[in-house]
Amino acid sequence: MNSLLTRRDCLLRATGGFAGLALADLMAGPLTERRGHFPAKAKHCVFLFMNGGPSQVDTFDPKPALKKFHGQPYTGDAKVGSNGRAVGHLMQSPFEFTRHGQSGLPISSLFPRVAMHADDLCVIRSMHADTAAHASGCLQMNTGSIFIGKPSLGSWLSYGLGSTNQNLPGYVVMTDPRGGPIGSASNWSAGYMPAAFQGTLFRSGGSPLLDLATPTGTSDRTQRRSLDLLKAMNEEHFARHPGQSELHARIESYELAYRMQTEAMDVVDLDRESAATREMYGLNHPLTADFGRKCLITRRLIEKGVRYIQLYSGGGHIEDTWDGHNDCIKNHTLHAGETDQPIAALIADLKRTGQWDETLLVWGGEFGRTPTSEGVGKPGRDHDWHGFSMWMAGAGVKGGQAIGATDELGFKAVEDRVHVSDLHATILHLMGVDHTRLSFHHQGLDQRLTGVEERRVVTKALA
Amino acid sequence: MMPFVRCLLAALILPLLARAGEGEVFFESKVLPILQSRCYECHSQTHKIKGGLALDSKSGWQSGGDHGAAIIPGDLDQSHLIKAIRYLDPEMEMPPKGKLAADEIALLERWVAMGAPDSRVAGPSKKPRVIDLAEGRKFWSYQPVGNYEPPSVKDTSWPQTDVDRFILAKQEAEGLSPAPEADAYTLLRRISLDLTGLPPTPQMMAELRSGEVKKSRGIQASPSSSPPFHLSTSHATAADRSYEVVVDQLLASPAFGERWARHWLDLTGYADQIGTSNNVFAEHAWRYRDYVINAFNSDKPFDQFIREQVAGDLLAKQESDPAKQAEMITATGFLVLGDVEIVAVDKLKMEHDLIDNQISKIGTAFLGQTLGCVRCHDHKFDPIGLQDYYAIAGMFRSTDSTYKTDNGVWSSVNKTELPETPAQRQERQQRLDLNQASIDRWKSEREDATKRLADLDKQIASASGEPKAALQKQRDELDKQHRTLSSQIEHARFFAPVAAKAFAVRDVAKPADMHITIRGNPYALGDEVRRGTLRVASWDKFPVIPANESGRVQLANWIADRRNPLTARVIVNRVWQKLFGEGIVRSVDYFGTRGDPPTHPELLDYLATKFMREGWSVKRLVRELVLSRTYRQSSMELRATGEESNPLLASREASDSKLLALRSSLLSGMNRRRLDAESLRDSMLAITDHLTTSGRGPALPLEYPENVTSISPKAVNPPAFNLKKMRPIQDFERTIYLPVIRTAAQPGSAKLRDVFDFVQPALISGKRAETAVPTQALFLLNSDLIRTRATELAALITQSSPDTKSRLEALWLRVLNRPLTSAERTDSETFIASMPADKAWIELSHALLSSNEFLLRQ
Repeated sequence: MNSLLTRRDCLLRATGGFAGLALADLMAGPLTERRGHFPAKAKHCVFLFMNGGPSQVDTFDPKPALKKFHGQPYTGDAKVGSNGRAVGHLMQSPFEFTRHGQSGLPISSLFPRVAMHADDLCVIRSMHADTAAHASGCLQMNTGSIFIGKPSLGSWLSYGLGSTNQNLPGYVVMTDPRGGPIGSASNWSAGYMPAAFQGTLFRSGGSPLLDLATPTGTSDRTQRRSLDLLKAMNEEHFARHPGQSELHARIESYELAYRMQTEAMDVVDLDRESAATREMYGLNHPLTADFGRKCLITRRLIEKGVRYIQLYSGGGHIEDTWDGHNDCIKNHTLHAGETDQPIAALIADLKRTGQWDETLLVWGGEFGRTPTSEGVGKPGRDHDWHGFSMWMAGAGVKGGQAIGATDELGFKAVEDRVHVSDLHATILHLMGVDHTRLSFHHQGLDQRLTGVEERRVVTKALA
Repeated sequence: MMPFVRCLLAALILPLLARAGEGEVFFESKVLPILQSRCYECHSQTHKIKGGLALDSKSGWQSGGDHGAAIIPGDLDQSHLIKAIRYLDPEMEMPPKGKLAADEIALLERWVAMGAPDSRVAGPSKKPRVIDLAEGRKFWSYQPVGNYEPPSVKDTSWPQTDVDRFILAKQEAEGLSPAPEADAYTLLRRISLDLTGLPPTPQMMAELRSGEVKKSRGIQASPSSSPPFHLSTSHATAADRSYEVVVDQLLASPAFGERWARHWLDLTGYADQIGTSNNVFAEHAWRYRDYVINAFNSDKPFDQFIREQVAGDLLAKQESDPAKQAEMITATGFLVLGDVEIVAVDKLKMEHDLIDNQISKIGTAFLGQTLGCVRCHDHKFDPIGLQDYYAIAGMFRSTDSTYKTDNGVWSSVNKTELPETPAQRQERQQRLDLNQASIDRWKSEREDATKRLADLDKQIASASGEPKAALQKQRDELDKQHRTLSSQIEHARFFAPVAAKAFAVRDVAKPADMHITIRGNPYALGDEVRRGTLRVASWDKFPVIPANESGRVQLANWIADRRNPLTARVIVNRVWQKLFGEGIVRSVDYFGTRGDPPTHPELLDYLATKFMREGWSVKRLVRELVLSRTYRQSSMELRATGEESNPLLASREASDSKLLALRSSLLSGMNRRRLDAESLRDSMLAITDHLTTSGRGPALPLEYPENVTSISPKAVNPPAFNLKKMRPIQDFERTIYLPVIRTAAQPGSAKLRDVFDFVQPALISGKRAETAVPTQALFLLNSDLIRTRATELAALITQSSPDTKSRLEALWLRVLNRPLTSAERTDSETFIASMPADKAWIELSHALLSSNEFLLRQ
């Protein structure tokens, strides 16, 4: 291999100028860290996506009136029922709401552990979206548009802010073992932006990245040797065609890939965590183990500098997600049970490691659920996109409060309405980015995440 | 400033700031919702600005309307807005439809009294832009296509075609010169990949080498070594002619259409799936795909290609040949195979969204215009207004694209039965009979099973103990068979070839003009607009649309008219970009005022004129471009010889990257390109002798029941899918024939698309990104797909060649399409010797398949 090395040295000397230029270009590459428009409150954002649409009146939006009118038909003017499904009667929540923390924020009995962090949560009770369907709803929550093809929030952040760790993807997505959200990768797509800004699917068990493991029967040593040969070939090719930094970037990408193999495997190696930590995240219980792993990996990814991490709770068919059409009570008991402890552990752990002050947490689904049952006498709830609840917590967020309100029954956001794009504007704001100024030129237009309508930062949510 | 003064100031300002913060919260939570819901409809940039007053920005109410400032902060009595909402002056009562509620009025009063804090960022100037068509037409792309003669050049020995003269003249003016010609190997690989998406065939390589055999091998051979189709004079040589022969072979190859059809599909949002909701198969989409492949292979005149895709269903009525009718009807799949959302409570809104999708697609694909934003407001930059948008929208409102199914909020894409030739009908009848025979056989088997089940039930009832368990087991077995038969029957019935169908559109019963919708809200109607098209790009009044017709024929004719300033320029530029890497207009999808101006405007017009004059033939255009010396240059390096001393460049103090950008835009050298996902996969198949001629037809393996999750007529939108199993042949067909899925990972070996910048199958995008990201490296290093090809390649090489020397030669010729250099030979021999024997050739093959040189076309 000597001749290769010698020639490579010669090559570097001969093309020193170009190599320097190429490296500089690479350093200014797509994922190099960039400053936002103003000092950021949060450096990292974790989006806890409750796929399927959690019911607001069973989680964070108590409605005493439902107790009063339980079992009576709904007579208001809201358009109930998403898919022509049967509309039942008003249905009270079986989950008791209790006030928590110094702030006295009401949270239902579905989230006993998250409730211990009530003073950190800023609940938005007046969310509203534009669509009744899961596919377009997930797309809207992730990309601002109900149609496929737009860049997702994580892509906008990667584009605007880059990444602090070049050995890991800057934008990581972990889906539910039962399946992805409807629409799959279109939810973490970079749309019309370069693919460097798209989300990378990370698996919480085994080999975390697709094609991360070397081919079967190939030892690391063999691969390293093949890589050296490849590198020599590529550099020789580069020497014959100097001046194109893109070629050098491509050579570098192999070295990055090689380093990524090590670093990504490290991140998912949870044996390095203490028994107490593993217990805290619920790794020892079948119900919480999967989401717990994802939350613990999330903390480790934040430590490594990953910018945006999205976790999905729920995937696949109706009842495997938060889509409680048949039995919302059983459904939410299951999915809240799977996620409550891990999310609470993530909050506590981030506080322990000191990263809480630079991490923004967002919780919610693509829409909410109706205060009526779906069909009479059946404890399911249908989709409700006119009003639903989400919460934010962490860096820059004023916790211990609920913003906005739905009507008396919880159908529709009526006070301080927050559109999905307003939420996006607020998240960008907390990450140091002005949503009106972050744009990408595409087909003659300066495209923005928040679109052309006037959108606002939810200033009440800011600390 | 003295420190204490600063403290004092801070003490004064701070309380004010604190109050301002509260004021903002009050404004956003209480005031803004009222303004938005009760005032914006008539007083905002995006709706109307009645009386000159806009309330959607702070500057709007500050400068005010016809009556002056609308609000005097802190002064209720002087504020026109307050007067108006109090209904004090009968001449000015706002909102005119009805007084605000008392608490709403109180909130606005309180807001003005507290100084009218307004947190909104300053909006754009309040005056609505009036579209000046005469002024708009002065922009280059709306000007008629000019007829230019090629310019004269100083170096008359270099140009061989008119294209060369246009290119050289510009270079000479900037002190640049053309790059030397690419060597024959590079050129053969380039032309083959560009025209067919495949590396040169072994036969082409052999022919090239036979002319080379006596010369020393190596790619650094000097240009004077004159490989077979190397050109060094302006006179056609034998080399010239052999290059032409290769070009014509490639143009005539079916692989040409398979490559160029995919470029067109990138402009359609094509997928084998309807919309994005609930995994609905688009089972007839493949017909449109095959239509496009055939169109490029048969060199269908591009103007006809346009007419068929916009109005084929209507044009088919003038046609008597059933094959041609079917082709034209199928072509309108263009209008419905994008991202059509089919789940919606609000059908009217759904329909308007689809119309928008169709207009956007026509705007981008044919005209290079961004029309989608004009649904809500006049174009912000281009001379295109609501009137233009709704003129076209009326035609699509008069067109049926979808229909509501019997199930809930679901719709589906319109399907049209295709006329058949007698031969086709007979062939289909045979398949139908076979299908029926299978159904009958399964039915009788099922009846049989039913009887045996009944018998077994009787026996089980009277048995006990071990015999009973055995019988029960037998029954379970039989029951399983019974259920399998039932699902086979259901499946065969559902997919019975009862008629040939295509996704297509048709005119509605009562076509009509359409109203402008306020901010795209289909329930808020503005003025009615006569159907027509973009006024700024029109040379005459739009023709009268016959009663009971949508107007799509007239629209198609307008797009495909030789007087249309946009159409020919846009397609010529697209073809140019596919061959040279960058367009003459770099923003290939956007020829509007904020797009990139053409680097060679006269050349663009020259090509567009010639293209139309010669019958809109894409193949002739491609041929003309690739025969130019411009195309045959070697790929761009930083400096060509002699440029270091060029005073023009020195005085420009051009940095290296600037120089490169200049050379790239003036084409002093060829742009290097990374192979796209299709070329990459198809090349690997070709290299390993595995590429299989496709049987065409349906991309979706619907014949496997396990792929189909729902075909029950009661299901929301059958057939729904969960693509689990591909046909074995699909691992070896060209990538264009593999199913395109919108909402899941690309199936089977098509997953290369996900890694190598495949256009998202909903975007209308004429140019793909060419990224270099670590996930690609990981894929090339570790994926089974590449490993399999590398293993096959190693086997092929070791079996066909006896020794290391000849194996290396064969490997380089196959993968990189050139002889290996002596340095490469030394390195590779060292590498082979250092590796375990069973791994060595696989590793080397794998390294070559992952190399930059293989990934790129120079």
